[in-house]
Amino acid sequence: MSSEKHLHPVAMLVGAIKTLRRWVSGLVLPGIVLLMSQGFSLWTVALFLLGLLVVAALAALWGFLSWRATTYAVTDNSFRLRQGVLQKNERTMPLEHVQSVDTVQGIIQRAFGVYEVRIETAGGGVSEPDASLAALDRGAAQTLRREIEGSYKARPEETTGPTVLRRLSTRELLVAGATSGQIGVAFSLLAVGSQFLDNFLSVDFARRLVDTLAPNWLMVALILVPAGLLLAWLLAIAGTILAYTGFTLSREGDFLYIKRGLLERREATIPLSRIQAVRISEGILRQPFGLSSLRAESAGYGEDEGVSATLFPLLPRDEVEEFLAGAVPEFAVVPAIEPLPRRSLRRYVFRATVPALLVCVAGLICLMVFGSALWLLSLLLLPPFATYGWLRYRDAGWALEGERLLVRHRFLGRKTTVAPRRRLQSRGVVSNPFQRRVQLATFVAEVASGSGGSALRVKDLDAGSAKTLAVSLGP
Amino acid sequence: MWRITGSLNMLPLLVGAGFAGSALARFGDASPFLGSLPVLAVLVLAGVVVGVVPGLRWRRWRYEIRPDEVDLQRGIFWISRTLVPLARIQHVDTRQGPLQRQFGLSTVVFYTAAGPNQIPELSTLVAAEVRDRIAELTREQDEL
Repeated sequence: MSSEKHLHPVAMLVGAIKTLRRWVSGLVLPGIVLLMSQGFSLWTVALFLLGLLVVAALAALWGFLSWRATTYAVTDNSFRLRQGVLQKNERTMPLEHVQSVDTVQGIIQRAFGVYEVRIETAGGGVSEPDASLAALDRGAAQTLRREIEGSYKARPEETTGPTVLRRLSTRELLVAGATSGQIGVAFSLLAVGSQFLDNFLSVDFARRLVDTLAPNWLMVALILVPAGLLLAWLLAIAGTILAYTGFTLSREGDFLYIKRGLLERREATIPLSRIQAVRISEGILRQPFGLSSLRAESAGYGEDEGVSATLFPLLPRDEVEEFLAGAVPEFAVVPAIEPLPRRSLRRYVFRATVPALLVCVAGLICLMVFGSALWLLSLLLLPPFATYGWLRYRDAGWALEGERLLVRHRFLGRKTTVAPRRRLQSRGVVSNPFQRRVQLATFVAEVASGSGGSALRVKDLDAGSAKTLAVSLGP
Repeated sequence: MWRITGSLNMLPLLVGAGFAGSALARFGDASPFLGSLPVLAVLVLAGVVVGVVPGLRWRRWRYEIRPDEVDLQRGIFWISRTLVPLARIQHVDTRQGPLQRQFGLSTVVFYTAAGPNQIPELSTLVAAEVRDRIAELTREQDEL
């Protein structure tokens, strides 16, 4: 199996298109300037097209050359990739350092039924994979994957392929999109878009528009705001559909396989031994329906969604335990959560109401200065903020079960994190004077994630139990 | 195997506080009497920051290297305690800035997969000893 292999010829096309895109983006501006300055005579258009043709031909040639120059091989315990037309480049990776092998299918690759294979090692950059093979046919991709993964652990020969643990149905997909809470993201996108439009609409036009609509600006707001929200919501659904269509999680031995994507098919492999922690998050839109999503924190594994990989985008809360038992047994616990002591409620409520209190104080000062009772309205801010503080208090908690630590907290959605004790990089207890007065403390534990760490934090638990927790989780 | 060593003086902190204090004092001189009030306030504050805080910080900073864990405790108002298992430590550094070199001090930094932790302002000799000790204990842990 150690012979040098070439990529699938489609790699030429992929490479050519990539170079073309790079060159064209550099050429577009001078080209347009040329067109504009010369006017649209037949000559310039012909010249322009000719130039485009030459560039395309060069790109194709380059694609061919780099395909010819790219070979890869798997030897006994390392993966070797040779690349480069002019500057030769050879990269060797020891197989035991490979973190994951992913296959991605872009639109071009899909049209030809080939796969892009990405290989990640620990410590590689988050955005760029450490090695990427632009096109391999199905068989070659499978073989390569087997060869690399085979080295993690000697596997019994009679394995019968991965067993599918769960598939995302179309209904679940739609629900996931509708409740994704990515509305914020979509909304900011929309804002950028409208700003872009603003530049195009002339000031004059805008003034006339305002003049005609000014008397009933309330009406405009009443129409525009819901319309914007609706659009943002639809965009969020579309984004979810693009990313998660056909989400399938399967497991074979010590590996999890994830397939997903509508236009771009992605296939990711996560070795169970690399998972540092599992997060169960219930967004504000999902919690009322008893839904949640699962993600895995894994060391040295970069993907587009931060550094943690989605284990499953939508799952009813009461099925989580069963699901985890099947997928990642090490994390499968939903023990009773230890609530915080009653006396920390006051701190939670106070923390949440600080911004509202500031507004109130400002309001009272204005009341005294201007004498308008309208400023008293700022007092109305207090109850919702206090409720938020109470919610955070109610949902915060921790549990220690055997070898696992479980921490729950709320920011907007409720998040529960499970981490086995041997994955904790450090534990700590922090307390400030106010906390010490009522014998409370904050407990922090860190797990490795991506290139840095991520923290599990419980605020205001009983100082005694925080200390016991920190000490008893030791080796 | 229990060994508790207080960390050495936080001289750099002191010098930094002095600089900040004098910089603040410059902005106060507007009207003769009223203008000197903020200067006085700043001076008092600077006195506290320079004279009292470093000493307290120094006294509160504690570290302890046990056979299986490193225990760090620090802070005057925000008292924090961190426990790092030696088996999780990936590598150890000692660091020395120009000011630290002037006073013969170094900082020991040790890294876990989740990020760095440090023990600041040890005398260079002690720092080297601490670094070697952590490195050695980490190796022992790995062999287990």
